[in-house]
Amino acid sequence: MNSRLPSVSPAPAWHAALHLAFARTGERTVLRDNRHHGPLRVQKALYPEGEGVCQAIVLHPPSGIAGGDHLLISATVGAGAHAQLTTPGAGKWYRSGGPEASQRLELTVEEGAALEWLPQETIVFDGARARMETRVRLAADSRFIGWDILCLGRAAAGERFEHGRFDLLCRVERGGAPIWLERGGFDGADPMLASPAGWAGHGVGGTLLCAFPDLPRQAAGLLEALRAIAPGDGASHGITALPGVLVARYLGDNSEAARLWFARLWQTLRPACCGRPAVPPRIWNT
Amino acid sequence: MSLQLVRLLQLASPALPVGAYTYSQGLEWAVESGVIRDEASAGRWVADLLEHGIGGYEAPLVAALIAAWQADDHAEVARLDADFLASRESAELRAETAQMGFSMRRLLRDLRDDSLAPVLAVTDAQPEVAFPTVWAGIAARWQIDPDAALCAYLWSWAENQVMAALKAVPLGQAAGQRLLARLGRRIVEVAAAARQRPEARWSNFTPAFAIACARHETQYSRLFRS
Repeated sequence: MNSRLPSVSPAPAWHAALHLAFARTGERTVLRDNRHHGPLRVQKALYPEGEGVCQAIVLHPPSGIAGGDHLLISATVGAGAHAQLTTPGAGKWYRSGGPEASQRLELTVEEGAALEWLPQETIVFDGARARMETRVRLAADSRFIGWDILCLGRAAAGERFEHGRFDLLCRVERGGAPIWLERGGFDGADPMLASPAGWAGHGVGGTLLCAFPDLPRQAAGLLEALRAIAPGDGASHGITALPGVLVARYLGDNSEAARLWFARLWQTLRPACCGRPAVPPRIWNT
Repeated sequence: MSLQLVRLLQLASPALPVGAYTYSQGLEWAVESGVIRDEASAGRWVADLLEHGIGGYEAPLVAALIAAWQADDHAEVARLDADFLASRESAELRAETAQMGFSMRRLLRDLRDDSLAPVLAVTDAQPEVAFPTVWAGIAARWQIDPDAALCAYLWSWAENQVMAALKAVPLGQAAGQRLLARLGRRIVEVAAAARQRPEARWSNFTPAFAIACARHETQYSRLFRS
């Protein structure tokens, strides 16, 4: 592992930003604005399923976030457009010698637009000091599917999250009013991580959110279909439909099982949420 | 002794007609799934939630609500209320606080207490109101000491959780009193920490609890509504 160790040679901290704007012109969703500074970018707009949906793969060339790095990704999907954002590999938060690192995700989905945020998992190395903030702003009739899979420690190396700090904020608003709010933070080895009501000793937690205007009417049928699908590793999981957002949670030790489970739920959710058949992004196969 | 103490006893009593006893907040699923099976495991579940669940989010929110009501800052009351509703992890938890909020609003009217009129006016303007929002409004208007109010709020919650454990596990009355005595010892500290906790550090991030609450929705045989 190429974790940068500031105690050895302090690497310069990155303040990277990526601003994306998608717009609909005719039947096509175009990537109208694609600006970045620092190592964070989208190379090109992809159309794997026709011109209606624009797929953008968000690259972070340093491949990991070190203490002092601050990343901002903002994406606006204009009226009637449909954008899908993914990442090519796991996000990594390296051990920090002291300073906090942060990633802010600001997603805005305008009238009649749809946004899918389908990243690979995020690995928080032991000793990282990380803050992840996600804010999603939906218009009255816009649609959103997104997930995050969090791995505390590099499980493959037998590592657990015993030092450092992790803070999380996820807020989804529709028409300016909150419909989902999850926030919290913990130090490494926080007793909450071992608690049967907290992380129950597990190292991988994932949350999938899906919001669309017709959800209240479709919730019962969707819940029945989704609850018939279980994570392949038999991990603890639950699905619920709040008034404005459907939520699925995974809690276990296998990030791939979490991602495959979310991908299967997405296959059922996408037609209901976005009115399109689920075409799994090819990048998931690599 | 003060009138405030008596008012607080009324507000924290299980006789408050809001139906709290019909909710277990995921505890019934924790029993069903084997996480809770005896006095010790029930004690751990409730104590951990006191610390990392309600102590991390709802308790500091109640403290902030009391302060907002005291300052007549109704925009802040509305903001905290909306955030609390959005922070509920499952459909049943959200329905629980909305139903109990509805019952508290009805109680506000039934009390015919002019000093509570501002709370009624503000909460009546909202289509839905969360339970802690109305509770904090009454506590503020009755001029109850905020520390005492928060301790009583946590005590009511703990008592309700233990009563749910008594029925669901089941446990005997003596076990219930032992659990409450132990939980009670932590409440003062949890309340004090909650009042000091800045909003940036509020936490409702307890995934196993959230999953238990979601799983309860499809539990085959159940006594409780959450």
